[in-house]
Amino acid sequence: MTLGTWLALVVALVLSGELVRALRQRALRGNRDRWRRFFKHRTTSWGIGILTFLAIVALAAPLLAPYPPNQQLDIVQLKNHGPSWTFILGTDVLSRDVWSRLVWGARVSLGIGALGALVAISVGTVVGALSGYYRRWVDTVLMRSVDVGLALPRIFILLMVVALWDGLPFAALVLAIGLTSWFGTSRLVRAEVLSLREREFVMAARALGMGGARVIFRHVLPNAAAPIIVSAALGVGNVLLLEASLSFLGIGVAPPDPSWGNMIADGASEIYSAPWTTIFPGLAIALVVMSLNAIADGLRDALDPREEPA
Amino acid sequence: MILRRFVASVAIIFAVVTLVFVLIHIAPGEPCPSDEPVDPAVCSELKQQFGLDRPVPEQYWRYLVALAHGNLGYSFSLRRPVKDALVETIPFTLQLSGAALLIDFLLGLLLGIYQASRVNRMPDWVLGNITLFIYSLPTFWLALILLLLFAEKLGWFPVGGASHPIFCPAGVDSAFCFADRIWHLLLPAVTLGLVGAAGTARFQRAAMLDVASQDYVRTARAKGVPERRVVLRHQLRNALLSFITRFGLAFPFLLTGAVLIETIFAWPGMGRLAFNAILTRDHTLVTATALIASAVVVFGNLAADLLLELADPRLRVRADVTTEIVTV
Amino acid sequence: MPRRSSFFLLGVLTVAALAGCERRGGCTGSYCGTVINAALAEPATLLPPVTEDVVAGDIGEQLFLKLADVGMSTNTVGDEDFQALLANRWEWDGPVTLVFHLDPRARWQDGQRVSAADVEFTFNAYQDSLVGSPFRAKLRRIASVTQRDSLTAVFRFRERYPEMFYDAVYHMRILPAHLLRSVPRDQWKTAAFGRQPVGSGPYKFVRWQSAQSIELVADSTFFLGRPGIRRLIWRFTPNLQVAVTQVIADQADVREQLVTPENVQRARAAPQLKLQTFRGNVYTYMGFNLRAGGDTSKPHPIFSDREVRRALSMAVDRASLVKSALGDLGKVPPGPMSSLLWIWDPEIRQLPYDTAQAGRILSARGWRDHDGDGVRDKNGQPLSFHILVPTTSVLRRQYARLLQEQFRMIGVRAEIDELEFSVVTQRLQSGNYDTSILSRGNDPSPGSGITQSWTRAGFGGSNFGRYYSAEFERQVDRAIAAPTQDQARGFWRAAITTINADAPGIFLYSLENVAAVHKRIDNVQIRPDSWAALLRTWRIPQDQLIDRDRVER
Repeated sequence: MTLGTWLALVVALVLSGELVRALRQRALRGNRDRWRRFFKHRTTSWGIGILTFLAIVALAAPLLAPYPPNQQLDIVQLKNHGPSWTFILGTDVLSRDVWSRLVWGARVSLGIGALGALVAISVGTVVGALSGYYRRWVDTVLMRSVDVGLALPRIFILLMVVALWDGLPFAALVLAIGLTSWFGTSRLVRAEVLSLREREFVMAARALGMGGARVIFRHVLPNAAAPIIVSAALGVGNVLLLEASLSFLGIGVAPPDPSWGNMIADGASEIYSAPWTTIFPGLAIALVVMSLNAIADGLRDALDPREEPA
Repeated sequence: MILRRFVASVAIIFAVVTLVFVLIHIAPGEPCPSDEPVDPAVCSELKQQFGLDRPVPEQYWRYLVALAHGNLGYSFSLRRPVKDALVETIPFTLQLSGAALLIDFLLGLLLGIYQASRVNRMPDWVLGNITLFIYSLPTFWLALILLLLFAEKLGWFPVGGASHPIFCPAGVDSAFCFADRIWHLLLPAVTLGLVGAAGTARFQRAAMLDVASQDYVRTARAKGVPERRVVLRHQLRNALLSFITRFGLAFPFLLTGAVLIETIFAWPGMGRLAFNAILTRDHTLVTATALIASAVVVFGNLAADLLLELADPRLRVRADVTTEIVTV
Repeated sequence: MPRRSSFFLLGVLTVAALAGCERRGGCTGSYCGTVINAALAEPATLLPPVTEDVVAGDIGEQLFLKLADVGMSTNTVGDEDFQALLANRWEWDGPVTLVFHLDPRARWQDGQRVSAADVEFTFNAYQDSLVGSPFRAKLRRIASVTQRDSLTAVFRFRERYPEMFYDAVYHMRILPAHLLRSVPRDQWKTAAFGRQPVGSGPYKFVRWQSAQSIELVADSTFFLGRPGIRRLIWRFTPNLQVAVTQVIADQADVREQLVTPENVQRARAAPQLKLQTFRGNVYTYMGFNLRAGGDTSKPHPIFSDREVRRALSMAVDRASLVKSALGDLGKVPPGPMSSLLWIWDPEIRQLPYDTAQAGRILSARGWRDHDGDGVRDKNGQPLSFHILVPTTSVLRRQYARLLQEQFRMIGVRAEIDELEFSVVTQRLQSGNYDTSILSRGNDPSPGSGITQSWTRAGFGGSNFGRYYSAEFERQVDRAIAAPTQDQARGFWRAAITTINADAPGIFLYSLENVAAVHKRIDNVQIRPDSWAALLRTWRIPQDQLIDRDRVER
């Protein structure tokens, strides 16, 4: 770690901490009920803080990583060194700096998480909305497909797609993950749309002659936003775990580029002599997923007024 | 009613098998159906033997016909009939999934109930964060850590495998071997079940709190009925119902998570079998495992639905509940 | 007793007591003992002629016998250093005729006598193209094998050369004609016999639990002496890490190769293990495909250029790579050989490590970075290729990454394809790859291995890259036919120098094997070319028996 990167790290930590604190103060003092409920539990704030920090880390990777992530610094002398002041998270079996790889890997893993979840949520929302709004045969056809989708073990299909078509570009991987993760969301959205459909404002809109698509997108979906947002938060976590699993099985992000998943995979064979190479990426994933779950909890509290602790 | 759902389930399985079949046959590159290098002449003969030189629709039809006769085909990567391979591995997967589910629900239920009874106090907060952390862990990472800690460093558990090679090579044929099997099963089942248990605990806690705030509980409280009894009875009943719902939803997760766990712990189950089958492009084996996997999921869901209806006729709805949402 | 096994024992015994325990154990004496080997990949079949699989070979050593076998010196010239097995004596009946007399005590495990008819049948099977044996090419100098009478087999060779005896005995394991005659030759690969073999060796097959273990039991009436260890179990593990962990946790007795220095360190710390080093017979190289991927009639766009191959070889710091990945447990080979071979000579001329020179050669051949992206290119095509490596070998995957970085530093982009082992084999066979990191196990004689992998005889076989040099083949033939070892040494030197200059591959490392064996096992004899060949001589002294040795089953 160089002076510059230490500085950047401290700045990132302070920045995310202050941001969360500021948001929390405003929310608790303000009169928006939802915001207040959102920030009520400390875990949610921690979640936002950690996520912000990791997002900053991912975005500012060049500033925070003292070494290029793929550079093998000295394969004879610097192999499998434990954490030290120069290498705060140690080096791996190919003498690469674990911290640098973690930082650059954040880009890849978080990127895949966000994009994959985006695809999944988008497709799921559209399918669910169409299904709930139009009902009848549209509903039947779409929901049967969802049933088929849910019956497939997800890793099975992903394995098949990725393993059989080798040499898939990065985008295809993200797409594949997204396209196998939308089934739950569609059911959720469908349920919401079904109930919203009978509300007065929707009927009014239809009476006014608005086309189906317009009604869905401008009136129904915004009110169904709550479960969608919660779903999105959790979806990112699921995609992240999925990418890690695929990389562990050897079919995710290709070497030498780091992703948290393939870092665990590479470190698994050295777990007895250099456990830090496996522990830190795993902790990173756990932190992100934990933060997302905490945020989802907060969102649920905020957006769903029926929830009331005893 | 039940018949209609049964037929729908069969249709779903059918669709899954078709999808998988098409996928594996349209994948680029037609490798030799053999697990050792063969020269091109032998290769084309092998392809003929397996019927791989025919057009895909025809292969599909022949497969369906064979399936109707109960013939699951021949696996070239294992050099034995698919049925034999499956018959050997399915019990192992069932054992692992069963044990994991047991740990998942028992632990989760207990934790969730305990947390709900101490809501917003210290134990709830501590347990809540612990379950949140465990729920967020990648299962394979947890597996590696547990293996390192308990098998290598402490030596309390075996390093993978399903049975002791000397004392119990022929499976569970005595009480001793039953104990041995459990000893081998513990670590992988705990790994799989722990993450699930954390999720179940969170879910249960929320569900029980939800019940506690319902009108009928408030009414009972107002009527002077001992609160504990009323709350507990309704909470437990609701817990049971959501338990059944989640039971049906847990299946796909177990089959998914099982691949990684089975690989790390060398557990000879179906997940590992399917994984190797996909990588070696063993068509028959892949489609057969897809068939079994989807059948388990679909019929598991069906069973859960039926149980739910039996338990509470009010809930005669399709279980359109996802894993995340807390309401009924 | 180590703490771990006592804990296990306590736990299991307690449960057993609670569950209604049964009487276990009872074998005492000097012929008890169970040895569990923590093995890696499970073989597909145990029928010797159809498989080159290492584990199948190790198990085959216990089940089947050869006519004779090399001694601990692994000398393959002449016949003095060989051990008699199925044949108890032999003589030369003319310059190209070798006559074997079978030991009349030899029996198949179903009771029948081993006869010369079995020897003749075996040779014909190994040579049969329907069987498709990978050992076929090694037997090509033998013209025929016939039986003179029920205990006499006659080998006729096509020519005279120093290793005739070795070729006659080493490659074939004698098979029971009466059990295999009825099996159609083209079905040998999938024959049921391969999963329930019957041989004439010191151990009998007991059971094969799919994906878990194979169990053998000693034949107490074995004519060459009762094996010391009563039971042998091969236990399959998914990878090297788990196998080593099992041996360290006292759940297995033997791991014949620890491979990495970290594993050796871990094993050294285990109180119940002793470590034994022996010369390794494996060398690993990154092979270039000299033909175009997918169409073997066309030359490869990059690697058909000899200068490019030489440049790439010079760009790799092989010594540092070995130091990093293997420490002291590996050596940089002076050519396509392992340290077991007598032709090993570090003085043989090899390409130097010189990145500057490598860069100059590439530039001279037109590979320059025209578009400034850090990767050299020529006519719009980048100098980029794929390295194929099986997922099963952690060491080779590590090397792939190390090589990737070495190439990147001279402006060459390598991408790593990690695929399952059988898919890798498939792509190698069909020539559908750019480069691949391959490991080859040597026979104790350089002739058979090098011919198989680096000459035209290996096309369609192990010579995946289709390297061919008329000069090299001439030198190899001369070396094999040389009458004395000194002359042969000179010819081999010339041949290896040629192949080094042609650089059909980058010869990365030769493994020095370290085996971990349980302390209680005595007389652990490990022959370097095949560690399991002398398992029947191992013993466990009576006072060292532990619980798993005493099981009576």
